[in-house]
Amino acid sequence: MSTYVFMKILESAPDRYDKGIDILSFGKLSQAYDRLISHIQKGQKVLDIGCGTGALTIKAARRDAKVTGIDINPQMLDIAKKHAEAFHLSDRIRFIEAGVAEMESMEAKSFDVVMSGLCFSELSEDEQAYALKQIKRILKDGGMLLLADETIAGNFFLRAINLPVKIVIKIITYVLTQTGTHAIRHLPEKVKKAGFKIESLRFNKMQDFIEVTAIKYKEAGS
Amino acid sequence: MNYFRYVIINIIGTLLRGFPLPCKTGLRIIGNPNRNSPVFLTCNFTVTVERVKKALQGMDAYLLVANSKGDNVWCSATGGHFTNHSVISVIKTSGIEELVDHRNVVLPQLAATGIQERIIRKKTGWKAIWGPVYAKDIPEFVENHFDKTPEMRQVEFPLTQRLEMAIMWAFPFSIIASLLVLPFKPTLFFPLNIIIWGWSLFLFIAFPLYSKWYGRNKKTSGFSKCTVIFDLGFVPVVTWIIFMIILVAGSIAFHQFHIDFIIGWGITSLAVLLLISIDLMGSTPIYKSGLHEDRYLKVILNSDKCKGAASCEAVCPKNCFDVKQGRSASIPRLDECVQCGACIVQCPFDALYFESPKGEILTPESIREYKLNLIGKRLVKVNKQ
Repeated sequence: MSTYVFMKILESAPDRYDKGIDILSFGKLSQAYDRLISHIQKGQKVLDIGCGTGALTIKAARRDAKVTGIDINPQMLDIAKKHAEAFHLSDRIRFIEAGVAEMESMEAKSFDVVMSGLCFSELSEDEQAYALKQIKRILKDGGMLLLADETIAGNFFLRAINLPVKIVIKIITYVLTQTGTHAIRHLPEKVKKAGFKIESLRFNKMQDFIEVTAIKYKEAGS
Repeated sequence: MNYFRYVIINIIGTLLRGFPLPCKTGLRIIGNPNRNSPVFLTCNFTVTVERVKKALQGMDAYLLVANSKGDNVWCSATGGHFTNHSVISVIKTSGIEELVDHRNVVLPQLAATGIQERIIRKKTGWKAIWGPVYAKDIPEFVENHFDKTPEMRQVEFPLTQRLEMAIMWAFPFSIIASLLVLPFKPTLFFPLNIIIWGWSLFLFIAFPLYSKWYGRNKKTSGFSKCTVIFDLGFVPVVTWIIFMIILVAGSIAFHQFHIDFIIGWGITSLAVLLLISIDLMGSTPIYKSGLHEDRYLKVILNSDKCKGAASCEAVCPKNCFDVKQGRSASIPRLDECVQCGACIVQCPFDALYFESPKGEILTPESIREYKLNLIGKRLVKVNKQ
């Protein structure tokens, strides 16, 4: 209710989401996404979970991949569609309004790559486990899982240094994008537990941002 | 049932009522449920979850807590934070499907502005049953074989809720005001807090007295853009004028009349009044917020399309509808409507829609897809008729 004042100025959040996020990450997010999509090959089928306004989706499509973006926010998807049109990539991208719990209807072993940026941290533990199970099902053997997300530093001192910055950023993030950010814990462990093999892990200097690339190996007997 | 936790959460939740208070989503076990026990679902506003748990006490049931970003059911459903996706997700990921043999879930009625029964059924196979508006009616609703009386469908604004709303406005402003004056002019602390708390409590406690003048004749929606500043019209202003008269008369009576004293408190009190009454109407469940453009809209029924499904009747929180079995619906109490849009969202035949005073039409599809943001703007273009 007290956020009315801010809302009045900002009015519609999705429009400002991209700029907000980019400013808040000091442009680092875009670099992280570039590193992630460097694993994508021409012509591959890619799924972007929680595509939002399509930042990662469009980057992937520009590498000549066929990308499906799913998100639960129809306003974000509208903006994503506009962005895709602006880059003349509409024929290579399909956006669907769906959450991770709605992946059941997707065909098994139908994607070469599944990627997700800043989405897992918004899911509950139940949803994360469910999503990983579904991702494993829909990925082809040898398919890749690419994740980039906020995390919590393992090092106590780094956590202590991060804290004041985090609080300020949290408030600004809420005002700009009207979504909270919750850092995800133990992401590599969760990915491993779901039966993926971790290919590479990358933390930023403050250890509060993680990039994971993992591979689904062919299951024995299948 | 942990009473200490219940009381603490209710106190914190009431003081900070204007802010989200999220709790963990997922499954909660109530009593000793078996494979036939009922499944209830609610939002993840901590206060609501505690109240639902209290209402379910003594029963054997499952409670699903779905993600609404920590907001209450009505606001989050109308504002697009409590959606079909939230419900589908908790049904699919909580493990409830392995625990019960039936596929019925009781949803809070006020969620009908954002959650579509048909989509839930299509995507999950679960049948959504609209439960009562208030959690306290759940036991009677269950005894009644999951059937609602008209009273259970109706939103009210009783004294306890009016007090909650008064506190919602007064507490944050009293904290801000106190922080501002304590370091510089501590003597202002008590008078300022008396004004903030006294006025908030007065405006909300006395609400039934003055709302009668405006209320039912629907003139409120013609009240122009001024309602953004003086919500509920001139009532707050009248109370301010009375306050000023008392202030002037009192200062004269006690031979303390100083013009700068009067002007100082005049401006301060007006500022306080504007802040606490900025969304007076929107703080009540019986008026549309003065900040929301939707308050100008009118629900229109296309009788040709209506086949008497009565889903409108089941979800209308103001009991506006009458549906004779198998026949077309009618809206005899349209002037009670709060433009929540639940009837339009639920109608399986798209027989209802919103019309603006200019004759613009908001289709059922756009109302389902595009929710109101916090300042009541729907991010969608309307079709000209």
